[in-house]
Amino acid sequence: MLAVDWYYLMLVLFTLGGLSVFFGGKHPGKINYVAHGLAALGCLATVLCAIFVLWQGTLELTLPLSLPFGVMTARVDSLAAFFLLLIGVGGLAASVYAMGYSKEYYGGRYGLLTGLFNVFLLSMVLVITASHVAAFVIAWEVMSVVSFLLVNFEYEKLANTRAAFVYIVMTHVGTIFIISAFLLLATAAGSMDFAQFDGSILPAATRNIVFLCAFVGFGAKAGMIPLHIWLPQAHPVAPSHISALMSGVMIKTAIYGMCRFFLEFLGTGPVWWGGLILAIAILSCVLGVLYALMETDLKRLLAYSSVENIGIMLLGIGSGMVFMSKGEPLMAGLAWVAVLYHCFNHAVFKSLLFMGAGAVLHSTHTKDIERLGGLIKRMPYTALFFLVGAATIAALPPLNGFISEWLTFQALFLLPQAMTGVAPKLAGTVLIALLGLTGALAAACFVKAFGIAFLAKPRSAKAENAQEVSAVMLAPMAGLALLCVLLGVWPQGMITLISMVLADFPGLNVDAMLTTNWYSVAFNASNAGGLSMPFVIGLLLISVVVAVALSYLYGKPRIVTGETWTCGIVPNSHMQYTATGFSGPIRRIFHSVLRPQRETIVDEIETNHYFGRRLSYQVAITYVFTDMVYRPINRTILGMARFMKTIQAGSLQLYIGYIMAVTVLVLIWNAGW
Amino acid sequence: MTMFIDMMQALILLLAAPLVVGIIKKTKARLQNRRGPGIQQLYFDILKFLAKDSVESPTVSWIFRVTPYIYFAAAVSAAALLPVWLNGSGLVNNLLVFIYTLAIGRFFLVLASLDAGSAFGGMGGSREMYISVLVEPVLLLAMLTVAVRSGSTNLFAMAGTAMQESFSLSYFFAACAFFIVMLAESGRIPVDNPDTHLELTMIHEGMVLEYSGRPLGLIFWAVALKQLILILLFVLLFIPWPLAGVVTPWVQVLSIVVKVLLVAVALAVAETITNKMRLFKVPNFMALSGLLSLLALAAQ
Repeated sequence: MLAVDWYYLMLVLFTLGGLSVFFGGKHPGKINYVAHGLAALGCLATVLCAIFVLWQGTLELTLPLSLPFGVMTARVDSLAAFFLLLIGVGGLAASVYAMGYSKEYYGGRYGLLTGLFNVFLLSMVLVITASHVAAFVIAWEVMSVVSFLLVNFEYEKLANTRAAFVYIVMTHVGTIFIISAFLLLATAAGSMDFAQFDGSILPAATRNIVFLCAFVGFGAKAGMIPLHIWLPQAHPVAPSHISALMSGVMIKTAIYGMCRFFLEFLGTGPVWWGGLILAIAILSCVLGVLYALMETDLKRLLAYSSVENIGIMLLGIGSGMVFMSKGEPLMAGLAWVAVLYHCFNHAVFKSLLFMGAGAVLHSTHTKDIERLGGLIKRMPYTALFFLVGAATIAALPPLNGFISEWLTFQALFLLPQAMTGVAPKLAGTVLIALLGLTGALAAACFVKAFGIAFLAKPRSAKAENAQEVSAVMLAPMAGLALLCVLLGVWPQGMITLISMVLADFPGLNVDAMLTTNWYSVAFNASNAGGLSMPFVIGLLLISVVVAVALSYLYGKPRIVTGETWTCGIVPNSHMQYTATGFSGPIRRIFHSVLRPQRETIVDEIETNHYFGRRLSYQVAITYVFTDMVYRPINRTILGMARFMKTIQAGSLQLYIGYIMAVTVLVLIWNAGW
Repeated sequence: MTMFIDMMQALILLLAAPLVVGIIKKTKARLQNRRGPGIQQLYFDILKFLAKDSVESPTVSWIFRVTPYIYFAAAVSAAALLPVWLNGSGLVNNLLVFIYTLAIGRFFLVLASLDAGSAFGGMGGSREMYISVLVEPVLLLAMLTVAVRSGSTNLFAMAGTAMQESFSLSYFFAACAFFIVMLAESGRIPVDNPDTHLELTMIHEGMVLEYSGRPLGLIFWAVALKQLILILLFVLLFIPWPLAGVVTPWVQVLSIVVKVLLVAVALAVAETITNKMRLFKVPNFMALSGLLSLLALAAQ
């Protein structure tokens, strides 16, 4: 079969799956397997389509659908194929996982959930493959609206509805910017077809506006700071398989949009484009992970960590664009490879982590890590897979998170070499230190998430009675965890694939990424040196053997069981460190950013004054951008509405009066006074 | 072949590590007018620990059990990555691989500290992550002063560049910055006190409180190795004299040994003349190091 067949097959499969909307809550068991099965098959077709395109070359087709704006065209080039692969892998895992997870939602609206799940996947595939402004914008809107509906699926809860509305407002603000960017380009090109777009014919001012519009528009979807406020609200309240899809896959469509604009449409721009992106990127990294570290809601923690990871991708994009403007194609090649590698990695490990969080939620019915604990003994497989996800997001070798972080570090390291002047050089170096800070905070964050939620004693009855989830939920997590290991152990395959994807874009050159030997990734331009994962793994394995041998030096180790030392008191779960306590010192040093508000409530009634007092301690942190940007905007809009209210009093006579006044004014105007 | 040489290097460093700790302890003791234990004491301790049974809490999981091996392996791997034999090829001995290999050990040790469910472990783990958040960016900055100059993050290239350069003010700043980071990263006064079990001050000791017997022996040894690794890195990158080409490789190795001993003595002196710092004063201390690195970078 050819790529085009797989393309149509995938559209048909997702559409068929989407039809389950009409089944409502009847036969949920059957709908579950049929609809999610169709979604899984559709994702398989997506993966195959991507592989065929990468193998055979660009696929162009005209959809038999005519709109006032012109003929709908779809084009799957290697960049689109890369993102199709990402959607396929993330979607496949989510579809299989959904077969187990979505059983919680059996009921009147179940058909809607499964149907929208399929439509969501369909819309993302269309966003990636559309090559016509109208088609792109329609697909983009469908994607936004369907994900809004999915976030708002449990609309009985007020928090969900609020989150969903913040999401839909923010995503539409973004869409306005995206449409503006497209229309500016389309007017200049005289066509709505992507192939005709050429930013180099635009005047410099217009080009800057297109750049800003595209950056803001896609940035809002990606969840970069300060446009991130919807992300930590919307992602956690959706059903977990949807969260995995939204955080793992959907926000990547924004990265795809940026790639299209910055690599293809706009051409090489001035240096400040890259500089702006780098500034926003490092802000997203540090603040995103800091908020994640302060969070005790497991899913919201993961959502904030998505903000951080988008920041890491933007660091790559920003440095890539600086290199392109400075005429350093080899360095630009490295930076863009880092972007796409991290993009794929994040899709894998964030989906994995959200599925792990979903499994915890499924069996304990709580997302609050302060109420969890001891899950490693009750849910051993989930714990193992979550640990792999946590280690890879903390960029520990030899997992895939390390590879893309390493590539990003290398790209940033080359930044001072491409810049001239002391201040830009220093700024480039400080970025590396801040990325190092981000890495350390991410490690702290995921040590906390895993250590408090899965280790030690359970902190509540819910955690005490947790049970391992079914195999159909564990299997996709196992697959993704395996992928984390594979992409880390043997990064050459993925780097070769990405080099193929990026090879045709002007302004960058990926030749330096290709390696001559099987065991190492070398960046051949300048003497930056290389990376060899088999070497690192070999060292680690030999060292582990040495360690084990040493512990057998005096015969087989014997282990005696003895209770944890707690100064003579019988240990209980209240003595354990809490997540809030764990992140306490870091909260304290970043207090000027986080502005924590503490409240301690001491209950002294009927208890001994010196011992056994009931204490409750609450910490709330302040979100700078919510307070400094969004609150004032909110207040202004509300104030204006209040002002308008006095004009719009609801009295018919008054309205007739307005009409009369306007008519008189128009008559006077026309009379030429 | 490269791997074999690197592994041999790691094993030699592993065997030498307890001696360096012994020298530091002895020097400290002499400076405090005590006789102190012999410099070979840590070897006896480790051998004794390696022969003992261990006690394990019923609360712990397999994380607690595998952590000593991982912590040990991470330290040994990091030691193997060091550019000690300067004529080695070492295409892949990257700075970031080195830093993140050490991070593996820390990640698991902090997890293990939470595993037993005692407040001491959590306290130590929490503080360890706090210190690492402060140290990581500053450590990177200090190393970048050399890396930027050599245009490479490869440790061999960095050490090679250091050997070509003559003394400059920028170098001096960078060396001071790294020395501060080294104090913090290896858990010494004024950041952490390696000799105390007092819960108000301990960081590292808090994390390993639940360990005993063979696992504890492995952890002690790994900590000693980590100390030596940091001293060596300091020596290789910031005290490159005598410069390359002046002397034969064997004299070079000998001079490295001498310089390591000198830095060990300097550490002991630094520990004796300073006090343990309040935990929340550490950011200022690290900021000082960061500032020195930035000065060094700007002066280049």
